[in-house]
Amino acid sequence: MIASAVLVGLAAACSSPNANDRFLATMPDRASFAVVADALEHRCGSLDCHGTIYRNLRIYGHEGLRLDPNGRPSSQPNTTTAEYDADYQAVVGLEPEILSAVVSSGGQGPERLTLVRKALGLEAHKGGTLWTAGDVQDTCFRSWLTGATDVASCQAVLNIP
Amino acid sequence: MRRVRLSCVALATWAWAAACNPVHNQAVAALGGETPGVPKGPTHRAGEPCLTCHDGSLGDPSAFTVAGTIYIDADSKSAAVGAKILLTSIDGSSYTATTNSVGNFYVQSKQFTPNYPMSVTVTYEARPTTIMVSHVGRDGSCADCHTDPAGPSSAGHVFVPANGVTP
Repeated sequence: MIASAVLVGLAAACSSPNANDRFLATMPDRASFAVVADALEHRCGSLDCHGTIYRNLRIYGHEGLRLDPNGRPSSQPNTTTAEYDADYQAVVGLEPEILSAVVSSGGQGPERLTLVRKALGLEAHKGGTLWTAGDVQDTCFRSWLTGATDVASCQAVLNIP
Repeated sequence: MRRVRLSCVALATWAWAAACNPVHNQAVAALGGETPGVPKGPTHRAGEPCLTCHDGSLGDPSAFTVAGTIYIDADSKSAAVGAKILLTSIDGSSYTATTNSVGNFYVQSKQFTPNYPMSVTVTYEARPTTIMVSHVGRDGSCADCHTDPAGPSSAGHVFVPANGVTP
């Protein structure tokens, strides 16, 4: 009896997923991400925060870390398309399964994402509480998750010091 | 008696643990030694990340909340003596520091503790006020980010552009 249980356990432990299986993700829109990236970069992407390669969420852009080795923080050019692409990959790559679930549900329950919980101060965050539920930053990011990015809110984030 | 002994052991253990931070120790060691002829004090280690040592840790020198060095231009290490650094917290509180003879400035907690993020402007002589493009997210040590040489992750040492515009 015990031997059978051990054999079954070993078989389960040594099994692997089907090589043809794929995780089909539903990701938020890349086309409308630039304004969201600008907001994230402005509030989160300083060199002493997420504008560094040492963060899981790595944000590139004009105000901080540059993608081009010849680039300089706070210098021209403004945030490049390649940097927007890198920022997009950084955001969607954090928790892709959870993000896919949030986007698939029409943006419901974004607090499932660690990025949102940390920004709202619902989870320990070295950068503190940066968003308040319903403020322009929160509205910007949540709207992006719904597929209808609130551009005005995202642009308003840039006015926050 | 036994309780006193246990308290002493606990206190000694805590002190040892507080002093034995290998990450912190390595960061301090990486700064190297003092410049010969420059005594420890307000004019030492210009351009270095002040809060690496001045962080309030047990056995370390007095803590600063914000500190750094301001230079005249991007290409030299000539100090911007007497520059005014306006530090403004997100809650509107502010403090103005002044650089000394080597361009160093430092702020103690009794003077000002920023509520991050913090914005920074620098005024030097008749030059236009320089506004730091990004805010400071959480690190009061200018040189933690403003390292030399300039690159994709650093704007180089802090300087005051002659025309108020960074290159």
